[in-house]
Amino acid sequence: MSGAAAPAGIVSGVTPTEPAAWLAELTAGVATWSTTDEHTAAAGADRSGTRQAGLPSVVVYAHTVADVVHTLTVAHRHRVPVVTRGAGSGLAGGATAGSTAIVLDLASMNRIVEISPVDGLARVEPGVITADLDRAAAGHGLFYAPDPGSVAISTIGGNIATNAGGLRGAKYGVTRDAVLALDVVLADGTVVHTGRDTVKGVTGYDLTALFVGSEGTLGVVVGATVRLLPRPKGQATAAAYFSSVDAAARASVLLATLGVRPAVVELVDGRTLAAIDDLRGTDHATRGAAFLLVQTDGFGAIAEIEVVAESLRQSALSVEVSADAALALALAAARRDALPAIEARGRVLIEDIAVPRSRLAEAFEAVTEISERTGIEIYQFAHAGDGNLHPIIVIPPGFAATEIPAHVQAAADEIFALALRLGGTLTAEHGIGRLKAAWVEREVGPEAHRLMRGIRALFDPRGILNPGTSV
Amino acid sequence: MGCMTTSTAVLHRLRAELGSRLSTDPAELQGARADRSGYTAPGMPLAIVRAESIADVQAVMRIATEWRVPVVPQGAATGLAGGGAGSDGAIVLSTASMNRILEVALADELAEVEPGVINQALSDAVAQYGLVFSPDPASKAISTIGGNIATNAGGLLCAKYGVTREAVLGLTVVLPDGRMLETGHRSIKGVTGYDLTALFTGSEGTLGVIVGATVRLRPIAAGTVVTIGAFFDTIVAAAAASAAVTAARLRPAVMELIDHEALKAIDAFNGTTLSASGGAYLLVQTDGGASVDEADRILAIVTGAGGTAELTIDPEVGERLLAVRRSVHPSLAARGEVLIEDVCVPRSQLAAMFGEIERIGAKWGLSIPTVAHAGDGNLHPNFVITPELALASGEVPDVVWQAAGELFRAALDLGGTLTGEHGIGVLKKRWLRDEVGTDSFDLQRQIKAVFDPLGIMNPGTMF
Ligand SMILES: Cc1cc2nc3c(=O)[nH]c(=O)nc-3n(C[C@H](O)[C@H](O)[C@H](O)COP(=O)(O)OP(=O)(O)OC[C@H]3O[C@@H](n4cnc5c(N)ncnc54)[C@H](O)[C@@H]3O)c2cc1C
Ligand SMILES: Cc1cc2nc3c(=O)[nH]c(=O)nc-3n(C[C@H](O)[C@H](O)[C@H](O)COP(=O)(O)OP(=O)(O)OC[C@H]3O[C@@H](n4cnc5c(N)ncnc54)[C@H](O)[C@@H]3O)c2cc1C
Repeated sequence: MSGAAAPAGIVSGVTPTEPAAWLAELTAGVATWSTTDEHTAAAGADRSGTRQAGLPSVVVYAHTVADVVHTLTVAHRHRVPVVTRGAGSGLAGGATAGSTAIVLDLASMNRIVEISPVDGLARVEPGVITADLDRAAAGHGLFYAPDPGSVAISTIGGNIATNAGGLRGAKYGVTRDAVLALDVVLADGTVVHTGRDTVKGVTGYDLTALFVGSEGTLGVVVGATVRLLPRPKGQATAAAYFSSVDAAARASVLLATLGVRPAVVELVDGRTLAAIDDLRGTDHATRGAAFLLVQTDGFGAIAEIEVVAESLRQSALSVEVSADAALALALAAARRDALPAIEARGRVLIEDIAVPRSRLAEAFEAVTEISERTGIEIYQFAHAGDGNLHPIIVIPPGFAATEIPAHVQAAADEIFALALRLGGTLTAEHGIGRLKAAWVEREVGPEAHRLMRGIRALFDPRGILNPGTSV
Repeated sequence: MGCMTTSTAVLHRLRAELGSRLSTDPAELQGARADRSGYTAPGMPLAIVRAESIADVQAVMRIATEWRVPVVPQGAATGLAGGGAGSDGAIVLSTASMNRILEVALADELAEVEPGVINQALSDAVAQYGLVFSPDPASKAISTIGGNIATNAGGLLCAKYGVTREAVLGLTVVLPDGRMLETGHRSIKGVTGYDLTALFTGSEGTLGVIVGATVRLRPIAAGTVVTIGAFFDTIVAAAAASAAVTAARLRPAVMELIDHEALKAIDAFNGTTLSASGGAYLLVQTDGGASVDEADRILAIVTGAGGTAELTIDPEVGERLLAVRRSVHPSLAARGEVLIEDVCVPRSQLAAMFGEIERIGAKWGLSIPTVAHAGDGNLHPNFVITPELALASGEVPDVVWQAAGELFRAALDLGGTLTGEHGIGVLKKRWLRDEVGTDSFDLQRQIKAVFDPLGIMNPGTMF
């Protein structure tokens, strides 16, 4: 039996040789699916650089809510694990799938159903690419605020499942703040609607917030009503170099006391600047040992950037300001190129701690100390406006692609412990996934962990949704 | 009678552990039966405990768990849904005396507070640093932050600055069995595990007792505060003007609508003549660096939509215009017991909802003065139980419930919700299932059972 209406490039699977009763039942009810190694291998990987043992049994390419309902109904009846997947751009292993799992790929459910300019909202299917929604909103003078670095590839469903942050988070909040209502298919195939189309509402518990960030463990998001905001008029940029990360971090903290609300405050460390120079032939590292990018937007963008620049000049080696879009893009290059430049050095493990803003300088320093002491290469950049630091560990060559070497994990563990010690969290926006699951209890405590597990068992009594991920 | 012995034993234990924080004074118990919703719980609470520490709260919950006694958390009892009203046989657990601001962290723009801190007191304490606690319910001078969190309170500014949920980073909670739980963190972001902080926010005391909170502060907006007041012939025209403002992608800090019935009540109370100047009033305020520019655009839209507007940058005049809005509640309260409803609809449906309110008022022969936070589609239709309407029993007359029921259904039909900020409490629970659906309703009840397996936390509220 083969599926029909496969998306371009997808060849549907053939009936597998192993006599799995559920597989026949599953594939009989969905149009597009595959069991070929090529497809299941691709569907079982994300961007975390890790894999699970074995290949998933089948990948279902859902096109409709009915496909999702059918998949979960069959999986529930036969107790087969289901790994929901958006674009697989996740960095925590949440969308990785191993043997026997069903991968439920939602990328084809990618219609923007409605944009309502007056109500400032959009109704979307989960597979819509984040940047596509923002582009569509722009047509109405609006924007979709959450902008993870992966906007061009990640899906809204994945953003919701991970409560993704982004560059503009300091001013406009994270994905949770943008989600008004959800349609969710529960583990047994029941469809529930949470939230409402109104900006406010307090009827009952906030199930919408509960699903946001639940990493596919409580249900599958098949529809979302998200908030769109007026697209800010005007934008201004300041780019500054500092003699040390410490000075840059302190300058970024001072910005919070100026009565202005920058949309973007990004910090890049000296080691990363050197990597960018290597990759692009630029001269960032000669201009300073740390880089700070600040953007303001809205009617007061220019007035605000003046205030920002004035403050930065107190401690920076140099400050450049521009309200010109093309120039701003050039100034922002050092931030944009950071990850590609580090990735050019080897396989990376992207960490994602957050600390209270005031502890940012301390966090940078402590991570540097860990790097120096262990000899492990660690680069750092941060969404400084919200205290979110990304230490990027380059895994030395010579290890299998599925493996995180013990000494690298030990350094990562030290970074997590540091985040907790400074009153922060081990993951600000990427999620627990599989990679950090062992750490949840240490952060939230046994009481909260027990409650979270209780909630999970309530939504998914048979434990079929993303087992091993999150709480 | 078995329960007599139970209550005696419970009181004995409470007194032993809490001493003078326990009260069984009949007058006080009587007072604890009500909040500001107009609802008074039947029967009589067992006792009131005015907790002064987390240990006090834990002691109460342990005793309550041991003896299966219901507990009703209470802040300032300004709630408008009956959620904090002490029910028959319950221990009323007041957190109002736990009112210390424990820390203000300037660089992190956050504060650690006990739950009994009055909303305005926190803003007053941080004003010297140019900061403010954003959530601004009209009750901010009298309500507690714990109560604000438990109800996820909104306010005038929340279209621009968000509701209470957006201001809460972390919570300390005592669970029904007396164990303590910390949720969230001091960092602004964090996605470790499920968002228990959001789950407790708006849970109306049904999952646990909030004994501490880490809340965000925000800088007081720089720049001139500009206020616009405009009269319109009809409330529908005024609502259309407010929709035009948001459709023009402008985000004023305040945008409030007052209908004609409410204007008349204000006139009667204050001796003013506002109701002669028009059939509805729209009040808009802009703040921040570009406030003047924004206000100019808004003024053009408002006058273009038929409004007779005045604009002021004089803070005193602005304050006076805002005072008009704030006097709505006292004006109505002077006429009788007020039931404040709280429906919220998509902004585009605001005019339609006003139309429904007029229709329902005419159908049931009731005057329903209404104000609205227009920026977020949140309307407060008020039922005033005048002496002519009042029942001897003190209960809400049936005609009011009939009309309120129709109001809720109209809001749901327009894609809205029955409560935008006050909560379900006791008064709206008969409509909860209608809004969320049976599956979601069942899930919510089961979530409650995960936290409160014995069902002792504020039973009768929400479900
Ligand atoms: C270059 C790069 C930059 C990045 N920058 C950022 C950043 O700035 N901020 C940030 O937060 N993240 C960032 N990320 C991480 C990642 O892009 C985000 O986590 C994103 O939200 C994942 O979306 P996705 O569609 O790829 O989801 P996947 O990777 O497919 O899935 C992620 C998790 O969500 C679950 N899931 C996906 N869809 C659904 C659904 N519809 N219903 C239920 N569960 C679902 C999966 O099971 C999995 O647990 C970056 C990644 C890359 C590669
Ligand atoms: C004149 C007036 C204007 C108002 N304006 C607004 C407005 O603009 N916006 C708005 O949202 N509300 C408004 N309200 C309603 C009310 O003030 C808010 O709901 C407020 O948040 C309640 O705070 P409180 O301290 O009085 O709580 P209470 O009334 O004592 O309790 C409210 C609910 O919270 C629970 N609770 C209280 N403290 C705790 C705690 N520590 N732990 C767990 N649960 C707890 C109670 O059990 C109850 O269910 C108004 C009320 C009045 C009288």
